[in-house]
Amino acid sequence: MDPLIFGFLLSDGLISGALYALVALALVLVFAVTRVILIPMGEWVVFAPLTQAVLLEGRLPATVWLSALLLLVWAALDLRRGRTPLLLALAAALVVAAGYLGLAVPALAPLVAILVVLPLGPATFRLFFEPLPGATVLVYLILAVGLHFVYKGLGLAFFGPEQFGLPALLAGEVAVLGLPVPWQGIMLVLAAGLLMASLYLFFTRSLFGKALRAAAVNRIGARLSGISVREAGRVAFLLATGIGALAGVLVAPLSNASYEMGFLLGLKGFVAAIVAGLSSYPLAVAGGVLVGLLESFSSFFASAYKEAIVFALLLPVLAWRSVSSLELEEEE
Amino acid sequence: MIALLLALLLALPWVLPPFYQTLFVFYAIAALVVLGLHLLTGLAGLTSFGQAAFMGVAGYTSALLALRAGASPWVGLLAGLAATFLFALVLGLLTVRLKGHYLPLATIAWQVALYIVMGSWVALTGGRTGLSDLPAVAVFGLELRDPRLYHYLAWGLLVLYALVLYRLVHSRHGRMIRALRGDAVAAASFGARPPELKLWTFVIAALGAGIAGWLYVHFVRFVNPSPFSLEASIFYLIMAVVGGVGALPGAFLGAGLLTGLEQWLKDLVPLVLGKSGNYEIIAYGLILVGILHLAPRGLWPWIEARLPRRTPPLPEGEGLPPRAEPLPEGPLLVVEGLTKSFGGLLAVNGLSFEVHRGEILGLIGPNGAGKSTTFNLLAGVLRPDAGRVVFRGREITGRYPFETVRLGLVRTFQHPHLFPEMTVLENAMLGTYPRTRAPMLSSMLGLDRVEERRAAAEAYRALVRVGLAEKAFLKAGALSLGEQRKLEVARALAADPVLLLLDEPAAGLRAGEKRALAGLIRRLREEGITVLLVDHDMELVMHLVDRLVVMHYGEKIAEGPPEAVQRDPVVLEAYLGGAA
Amino acid sequence: MRKGLVWLGALVLSVALAQAEVRIGVTLSATGPAASLGIPEKNTLLLIEAGKLDRMPKGAKVRFFILDDGTDPTAAVKNTQKLIQENRVHLIIGGTTSPNSLAMIDAVAEAGVPFISLAAAKAIVSPVDEKRYWVFKTPQTDELMSQAVVQDMVARGIKTVAYLGFNTAYGEGWAREFEKAAKAAGLRVVASERYSPKDTSVTGQVLKILSRRPDAVLIGAAGTPAVLPQRTLVEKGYKGQIYQTHGVANPAFLKVGGRFVEGTLLPAGPILVAAQLPDAFPSKRVALTYIAAYEAEHGVGSYSTFGGHAYDAWLIAKGAIERALEKASPDDLAAFRKALRDAIEETRGVVGTHGVFNLSPTDHLGLKFEDAAVIVRVKDGKWVLERSFR
Repeated sequence: MDPLIFGFLLSDGLISGALYALVALALVLVFAVTRVILIPMGEWVVFAPLTQAVLLEGRLPATVWLSALLLLVWAALDLRRGRTPLLLALAAALVVAAGYLGLAVPALAPLVAILVVLPLGPATFRLFFEPLPGATVLVYLILAVGLHFVYKGLGLAFFGPEQFGLPALLAGEVAVLGLPVPWQGIMLVLAAGLLMASLYLFFTRSLFGKALRAAAVNRIGARLSGISVREAGRVAFLLATGIGALAGVLVAPLSNASYEMGFLLGLKGFVAAIVAGLSSYPLAVAGGVLVGLLESFSSFFASAYKEAIVFALLLPVLAWRSVSSLELEEEE
Repeated sequence: MIALLLALLLALPWVLPPFYQTLFVFYAIAALVVLGLHLLTGLAGLTSFGQAAFMGVAGYTSALLALRAGASPWVGLLAGLAATFLFALVLGLLTVRLKGHYLPLATIAWQVALYIVMGSWVALTGGRTGLSDLPAVAVFGLELRDPRLYHYLAWGLLVLYALVLYRLVHSRHGRMIRALRGDAVAAASFGARPPELKLWTFVIAALGAGIAGWLYVHFVRFVNPSPFSLEASIFYLIMAVVGGVGALPGAFLGAGLLTGLEQWLKDLVPLVLGKSGNYEIIAYGLILVGILHLAPRGLWPWIEARLPRRTPPLPEGEGLPPRAEPLPEGPLLVVEGLTKSFGGLLAVNGLSFEVHRGEILGLIGPNGAGKSTTFNLLAGVLRPDAGRVVFRGREITGRYPFETVRLGLVRTFQHPHLFPEMTVLENAMLGTYPRTRAPMLSSMLGLDRVEERRAAAEAYRALVRVGLAEKAFLKAGALSLGEQRKLEVARALAADPVLLLLDEPAAGLRAGEKRALAGLIRRLREEGITVLLVDHDMELVMHLVDRLVVMHYGEKIAEGPPEAVQRDPVVLEAYLGGAA
Repeated sequence: MRKGLVWLGALVLSVALAQAEVRIGVTLSATGPAASLGIPEKNTLLLIEAGKLDRMPKGAKVRFFILDDGTDPTAAVKNTQKLIQENRVHLIIGGTTSPNSLAMIDAVAEAGVPFISLAAAKAIVSPVDEKRYWVFKTPQTDELMSQAVVQDMVARGIKTVAYLGFNTAYGEGWAREFEKAAKAAGLRVVASERYSPKDTSVTGQVLKILSRRPDAVLIGAAGTPAVLPQRTLVEKGYKGQIYQTHGVANPAFLKVGGRFVEGTLLPAGPILVAAQLPDAFPSKRVALTYIAAYEAEHGVGSYSTFGGHAYDAWLIAKGAIERALEKASPDDLAAFRKALRDAIEETRGVVGTHGVFNLSPTDHLGLKFEDAAVIVRVKDGKWVLERSFR
């Protein structure tokens, strides 16, 4: 194999890897705090660029109304809790306003898209997961699958079955060691690295981060220490949705976006997250990069069996991680 | 009740409208897979995303034999199950040892890998386009093409499989499988071999899926990878969880409900939301979410809680045969030079003492003295770095708990390692595991009934001895702490202990409960059981034990009857840290 | 006066009764991977149902039962059973994808219900054995379309080709038929790669193809996911001729493809460039009528060739219903189904959007190569007729 091809495959693998790493970070974050395996994350990752695409076509995307609706339902559920319903209603209005802003100023479309998709996460947590605080991981998982169906169906209804193309945020390519690499790809890799570092620092150094971790490990203990487990969950979902939406917006100019791409993205991110033991951020990034590289190289050597190779090669990695993992066995 | 259901099943094909006959066959196929999940995920706690792949293995094997070699579908069934067995064995060996979340991911891994191979190896499998013109199953020349006839085949196989599973679940193996999921350490302490049990559970679940795959392929008479995908596996998992993954009727409920729901939504949603949209999947997801909010443990437990409860009959009759081998002369347990360190910390250092037959020996010492480590070394949970342990004249140094428990060395746990979802009687019956012999196949075929009855009687007697008889059919999770301790002792008694190791039995008990416990231990000694107990409660210990061994910093600092030890200055210094 | 009213009433009643009900069951893939094929099919049938596309057959009122199978063969079979047994349909149209149609064959054959498939594989109707006695289809086979591509390639002096297709039944079918046709025509297939419609990158596959330096690349994909490989090829500097398949013949492909798909060649049913066809082309008028009605409902440029297949199925069915009504009554389910099947097989000279259908007991497709395929080029973001084979 000549070095140029190797270089291209390496850069392609790293860029895909960065995408999977971002999804993995989001999944690990959510699991670490709420013990939910957030399957619908894949849908939210594509909702953001799809929303952006519809804005660029000059129409108000239905995601705006969905987000606003979910926020209002949340407000209705929390009607008696002080100022919360007011703030939520305000947020709903803000989302709609942002939608119109995105129509008026196309250059802001990517940002608006992320903002519009952002409330979906915490609202989903509040409406569907919070009411079941003590459920097992398996039940949360099936709940997540049900929500995945809902969001996927909504995706088809809102955006149709075809892909959308998107303009690059940063067009063109730059030569890295003699290899042309798209700027968009570099942005993905940088985003993954930065977010990994920030999450790592946040969870190990900041008090709020440690509180979030405590909430996941021991609910009652956390509550006794004054940490609101509910709030922790909402923050985790918010952050995760933000990461996912950002990832979607960054990758879509390179690969186009359609409503059905979400699940596979989520699955590969999930794979990377498991390699990380659903708990370590650096490992989540490493896992994502591993999956991306495996995929890129097997696409070259045996494209018909690419996915089989990626998953089969994961088995030894899993075995190794399982043996070296210090976690106690879960009760599920 | 069961007879009524069976009669209904027999009559159904002639009563149902034609389309529902077809659906009912698909229902049976789904139920086979979901039953396997009940065993694998619900009872053994191993979440599998790969059951549909096993369907595919059996289905394709049968299809290929039929098309390429002209084999009869019955040959295909045998070959398909054999292939499924092999695949499950190999994949199971790889998968069941994985801890925590790695296991489900491994199932996803080979599910996807198998699916891709099924689709991409076009020359072998016909690829994604599939293979059509598969033969129908024939019984004495009669081809089963009509769904009404196929109904009997599918439901017949399903009922057989369900029966086998039911027998397995209500046998010594079933109890152990359930125990493994909650607490592998406790299960191992009663003789289970976790990797083996998990592997067989895996294989049995896979075989159920294999039967389902074969049925599918010869019903539709077309095969392509679609029904054996990750999405399909997820659907079966959904059925299992919605129905109630821990209950056998839950499998039937989940499979039936969701098979029907798919169809009803196809009719209903276009009526409500108009023809031009495609919203069924949204409705499906919302209903799924709704059901789980209503009944997080599944629909069957939700329904069962509202049904009148029947109390089963009390076990009676003969218990299990007692230990035949006589005890040799001399001390029952000899500990010589036992040493264990953890990294740089020397927890136990050259500990030596003896336990005599029929005595109650207390092992005490200040915090951090090494009592728990010693306890775990004796129980076989830890391996010593040096030293010997001899029990009944036999060297047991470093042997696993499942070996020593058969010799009569039984332990309890400081934090009750009970299984709250199982009844008190079932928990006690776990103790009989090392004394019962029926292999898994016997259990599945229902040949272990006599042994089961005797084990139940034995466990019940143990409950009577500790005073828990009236609570035999309550869920163990409902007991108070004192009662849970008694249940631990009962479970240990059911194992016919020669030497009973009690780990802090008095911890957390109130005064009255402590007295009752002490009385129980004395009664056990009168019945001939030797007891070694570790505890902090001085009042209990001093009035109960015949002799004491005192540890400090991993070493024995005193030994002798309670009065002597109480006055020993070395002991006093160790506890109080200075001149008394 | 009263007598007149009674006579009028009787006349109306008899006319109403004379309008026998013929039920057509439809199972197609409006969701799932084949949605971009199934949705235009569904829209077409809904248009017919609403009376906006064509009149009902003489002497009968047609009722449609339309179900979605989500591109899943098991669902397609369940739908088929439901349509046959619950809705008691006389005819089934649909089975958007080849696996779905193949899976449905046994069910329709067992029940004796005629089935017009909307999928591509030749195996659906060939050979016409006991079971395929009941099965017909309207889309051109992969074999036919592959022939068109290969002939065009040969005519341009292309010697080596690489194939990059979906890892679905669609891509697999094209791989099989194209490689067979290419080999027969002396073309060398230097690479045969696969990718998933949901992939975000096909760099590896493209690099492999580039390293083999083929004169042309054929992309075996459908809908907008066909753009990614073409874009990657162009971005990595491929200068040879890129071919796509008829699966991309919908407006979204052009929009998303943009400049990357400029100059693409593809085989297609003539309906794609109906307005540019010479008037002698038999299917031109019908195609234009269809396009006008579809665009009136869904917007300019919204039509797709797959919707045309559904319309062709309807045209065949309509003629067959009229003929079958002479032989049997729709109230006699078994008899009418058989009569309908016979009538379909007797279809001669029905002009559809993709060509002229002449069925026979040995040919349940009935399309002729020269009428059913053209080569189209993408020029200035539009479909332009490049050549026909007449």
